[in-house]
Order: sequence, then C-alpha cells, then structure tokens
Amino acid sequence: MKLLTHEIGSLAKPPWLVKTSQGKELDESDIDHARKWGDKVGVEGHEELVESLERGSADPDDVALWSSRYCVRMQEAAGLDVIWDGEQRRSEMYAWAIAHANGFEPRGTVRSFDNKYYSKSAAVGPVSLAEPYHNAEFESLQPLAKARLKIPITGAYTLAVWSYDEHHIPKSGRLGAGYGRKQEVEARRELTLDIARNLIRPNLEALIELGATWIQIDEPGASTEEDELDIFVESFNVSVEGLDCLFSTHLCFSDYDLFFPAIEGMSGCRQYCVGFANYDTRELGRSAAERPGYEVISKFRDLPYAPVLGLGVLDIHTDFVESPDLVRDRILYAVDVFGDPARIDVCPDCGLRTRSWEVAYDKLQAMVEGTRLAEAELGA
Amino acid sequence: MAVQAFAPGMYPRSEALVQATRDLDRGRTTEADVDAQVAADVQKLIGVQQAAGLDLLTDGMLRWQDHFRPLLQAADGLETGALTRYLDTNTFYRAPKATGTPSLSGPLDERFSAAVPGPRVATLPSPYALARGTDVSPTAMAENVLKPALAGVDAELVVLVEPFLAHDGGSPNELREPVEALSNGAALALWFPFSDAGPLLEQGAAELPVEGLGIDFYATHLDSVPEGLDKLLLAGVVDTRSSVVEDPAEVAAFAGKLAERGVERIALVPNGDLQYVSDAVAREKLARLGQARAAA
Repeated sequence: MKLLTHEIGSLAKPPWLVKTSQGKELDESDIDHARKWGDKVGVEGHEELVESLERGSADPDDVALWSSRYCVRMQEAAGLDVIWDGEQRRSEMYAWAIAHANGFEPRGTVRSFDNKYYSKSAAVGPVSLAEPYHNAEFESLQPLAKARLKIPITGAYTLAVWSYDEHHIPKSGRLGAGYGRKQEVEARRELTLDIARNLIRPNLEALIELGATWIQIDEPGASTEEDELDIFVESFNVSVEGLDCLFSTHLCFSDYDLFFPAIEGMSGCRQYCVGFANYDTRELGRSAAERPGYEVISKFRDLPYAPVLGLGVLDIHTDFVESPDLVRDRILYAVDVFGDPARIDVCPDCGLRTRSWEVAYDKLQAMVEGTRLAEAELGA
Repeated sequence: MAVQAFAPGMYPRSEALVQATRDLDRGRTTEADVDAQVAADVQKLIGVQQAAGLDLLTDGMLRWQDHFRPLLQAADGLETGALTRYLDTNTFYRAPKATGTPSLSGPLDERFSAAVPGPRVATLPSPYALARGTDVSPTAMAENVLKPALAGVDAELVVLVEPFLAHDGGSPNELREPVEALSNGAALALWFPFSDAGPLLEQGAAELPVEGLGIDFYATHLDSVPEGLDKLLLAGVVDTRSSVVEDPAEVAAFAGKLAERGVERIALVPNGDLQYVSDAVAREKLARLGQARAAA
C-alpha cells in the first residue's frame, strides 16, 4: 500500500539568496552552504553557482532560480513523491499575489507571531489580475522536476482576510453606531468574491493552460471568522468550478471543528492538507487518547464527497525532529479512523520556511521514513 | 467633561526593528544590535506620543512577543502552549499552559518595561485571559502571578487587557474576585478590545472594582454605555484593525456624545493594540488621536 508524501509549500530562503537579493556581501559560510547542499542533494552544475557567488557577480534572479533547483532536489532527495520549489522565487505567499494584482496598495509590516511578520496591503478599488504570477515558476520546474509537481497558490479568502479593506467598508460613520457584523460580513463577501473571480480564477486558468495537473489552494486564513466560512467555501467554488485540474486546499493552525458543516459544500476540493502535529503529543501510540491532535479527523472522513486527507505529521514551529516511529503512529491512527489508506496522504503541518534547511530536511526524511514504516505495517 | 488620550497595549515595531529581529532569529545580528534598535524605537514612540499631546505615555511593549509571554517565561508552573490565533486577526500568540501551580516570585525583568519621561500607562493581561484554557482559576492567576508582576509596575494606570470574555459569552462576575485580588495598588482598568461590550455592560461590568473600563466603539453601540457612568471610560475610538486613519472631528464629536450620556471622565484610546497596523499607520493614528483630544 503506497501512501503519497508531499510538501506543503514554502521552505526557508538560503543565506546566499537572501544576501544576494539584499545586495549584501556573502561570507565564506554562505558559499559553503551553497557548496554543501549542492553536493548533499545532488544539484546538477551547482559549481557554477558557487563560482558566481565567489566572484560576487551573481545576478539575484539567477540565484533565485538556483535556489528553486536546490529545493526541488532537496525534497526529491528526502524522498517526497509530490513537490514544489519551496516558493523560492516568491516574496511571500500574500505579498507575491498582491504584487501581481490591481486594486491594492501596501500599508506596511504587521506581526504574524514572535519575530515573524508579513506585509499587509489594503484593497482600494476593484481587483483584477495584472499578470499571471506562477507561470514562470511552473515553466521552469516542469523540465527540472523528477517528482510530480503540485502548485501552491494563495486562496481568495486568505488574501481578503489578510488585507485591510478601504474599498467596501465605510471610512466614517461607524463610531458607536453599531456598525454591525452583518455589514462587515457583506463587505468581506464582496471583496473575497472579487478576488476569486478576477484574480485567482484567471491565474488558475493560465496554469492549467500550461499543463498544471494539481493545484493546492492555500487558505491558512480560512477559519479566521467563524461566521464567514460560507464565504471561504463560495470563493473556493467560484475559483475552481468547471476547471479541469486536481484541486486541494491547505488549512492550518485553526480550530478545525469550525469548518463543519460549512465545507460539506466544497465538493470541488479533492484533498484537505491540514496541520495537526502542532496540537499533538510527542509520545508514541495509535489510540485516540494517544493522538489528541488528530481528534477532528473523523469529520474530514465523513465529508459526503470523500476527499483525501493530507495528514500533517510534522510540527513546523519547532526544531524537534519527529522520529519515524512517531510519524508512523500518527499515520496508522489516521488510517484506522478512515478505514481506507487510499484516503490518506502524508505531509508537514504547513510550509517549513521558518526552519533551517538542516532541520527541514531531517524532518522531511523522517516523514518519508515513517511513511515507509506505516506502509510496511499496512502491507503486512 | 475631562478628556484624556493615551494608547495602552502593544505598539508595532518599526521596519528597522522588524529587520533586526528577523536577522537575530537567523543569526545575522546580535542581541546588542536589537537592543539598540528597541531603544531607538522606544524613543521615537515617546516622541510621537509627546508630539500628539497624549496624557499618559507607553513604551509600546516592544519586547513583548505577545500579551502573555514574559509572564509565562518568568513564572513557575506556566509555559507556552499552542500557537493560537488572536481573535479574528492574522496575529498569533502562544496560549498559556499550566504545568503545575503557577507562581511568580517577583516583578518582571526590567527589560519588559522601558522608562518613559512622564506619567505612564502600563498593560498586563487580565486574570481571565491569563487563566483561559488552563485549569487554573482567574483568581489564582491574579494572586500568584499578576499581583507580583503588578508590584513592579510604576504607572498612573494599569490596563488589564481582556480580549476573550465577551467573545466567550462570559459574565463580568467572572472578573470580580480576581480583580479584587489585584486592588490596593495601581489604578486598574479593564479593556475589552475588538468586542461588543454591550452584553458585559448589561450584566454589570460597570460595577466591577476597577477605575476604568475600555470599550471598543467600533463594535459597541453608544447606547450600551450606562447613563452617568462614573468610571473612567477608555473609549476605543481608533480602529486598529483598519488602515484608514480617523477623522479627529468625528472622534471629538463622538466624545461629545459620550458626555451627553453623562460620562464625565473620558480617555480616548485605540480599540485594541496598535500592533495590528504598521508603524507608519500607527504613528498617524496617534497623531489623529491627539488632534481629537484637543478638539474634544
């Protein structure tokens, strides 16, 4: 019984990419990093990159392309079945999409958590696609990747809820006026569906035209507002309806109970990639009591359109490297709950961009090894 | 009508401090460099508040990773739990997790409270917020953790931020005993950010043993304020979830409406932490807050 393993999206940008992009001088450890990882994961011709870094003449766009190749080979070396390039050529999942859209203006940097931040923009007018913004990535990865490609793309609801809205929400008259939740929700619906129809969908169509077969619509903001889940569902449907491609979504760091029953109407979604390990214990065990982080998975099992569950088994917020045995037990618990291993894929909770490459690689290797252990037991 | 203005809570880090802390996490800079940038940010923030004519000054809590972190790190019996979304924002905090009987042996490290040149407003989590999700009672959190922390705070007013009670559909009675445990020290206010405080006010929040109440007037109707409220009303008139800057004339007019309801002591404040907008937007919002105070 084969269980599919895949990454969720982002990986950290290496120091030689960050410094080159910032116009900073590299030190020997940065060049050693490029040399070591090129050797370690088998990046063809990486000596060319190392030489250009040593000369100090590397073009930032070329270096980003190299970084993309490194991440592809890193994931393949770790043994993943389905990969992307760690979003090395994107600024960030929100900023990249907004930068290629009309109708937004930047409003500065806001904290996500601890020392992590994101750029936040405001919707200031009707939204439209300035230019397809994942085509170049996809075209460069198609001939390169040995594993199957899955393109992560930030979804409409997350883009809306992570933005300020200066276009639909009144600029005055709200103070003490009981400007109600109903009006707020309607404003969000207008913005979200505008993004779905006029930004996301044309971008998806462009990718499918190029040959994309699996697109993951990332919606980490989906459960931000409990009473807006219908907007998330509607925006997903509007984005993908009638398009010929496998569509999955990624949800993370939420009270997943909130999604039910709303996502019963999201039948165009063939897989939910969901983070659970963050809520789980590190003890071994395959019973419900021993896997508290996975309590909600039966609700995904019972969805009427029987989607696959992309089971998050790696906590991406810690350098703790899960043992293969722990990964195995998490998988086997989920398979037991679902009663059908064909409906379980294996992935990290979220993108691993907050971890070093060393930690991310170790975690991914452990995930693949744990998956093989689970397969061995399931095949027995 | 006496109108003050100030800004409790967490202030956004400057773009330079954002970069410095990012660099620190990636081993590209030193603690000393980050300390220097924090000091520069604090001085700039003080200047912005003074220029706006604010009555109480804050250091902006620039070292605090969230409202609970320094307490969780300093107290025995508490640690950081799961990364959790802060209400409906896209900002997350580490939820408090109890591992034993919580106790704080003394005030927080002075790094978490930078000096300000004038009367100060300080901010701590409310006992209910700190206890939420643990098996510890809010009163025990107040007595064993917040009271020792409060003992080290030198401020005209300490604002206890309570983001969850209204969202949980709770009763103000759940705060009465824990807040009483914190009395006999600095003047206290309870601040209900990003919440319709109407139901809490209906259930007698105005009778709680605190000096002031903080109400988000972007979520709470003016009519919810009890006629003749005899507490300091921290009126949340700056919307920190919006990038639109406020019209000082509209805010001043609203202060007038509060006075018409018999509220005699009013402090114009944000409706939540300013950290939900960027430094540049927050600076402009503070300037507008000062203009509104002057016009009220």
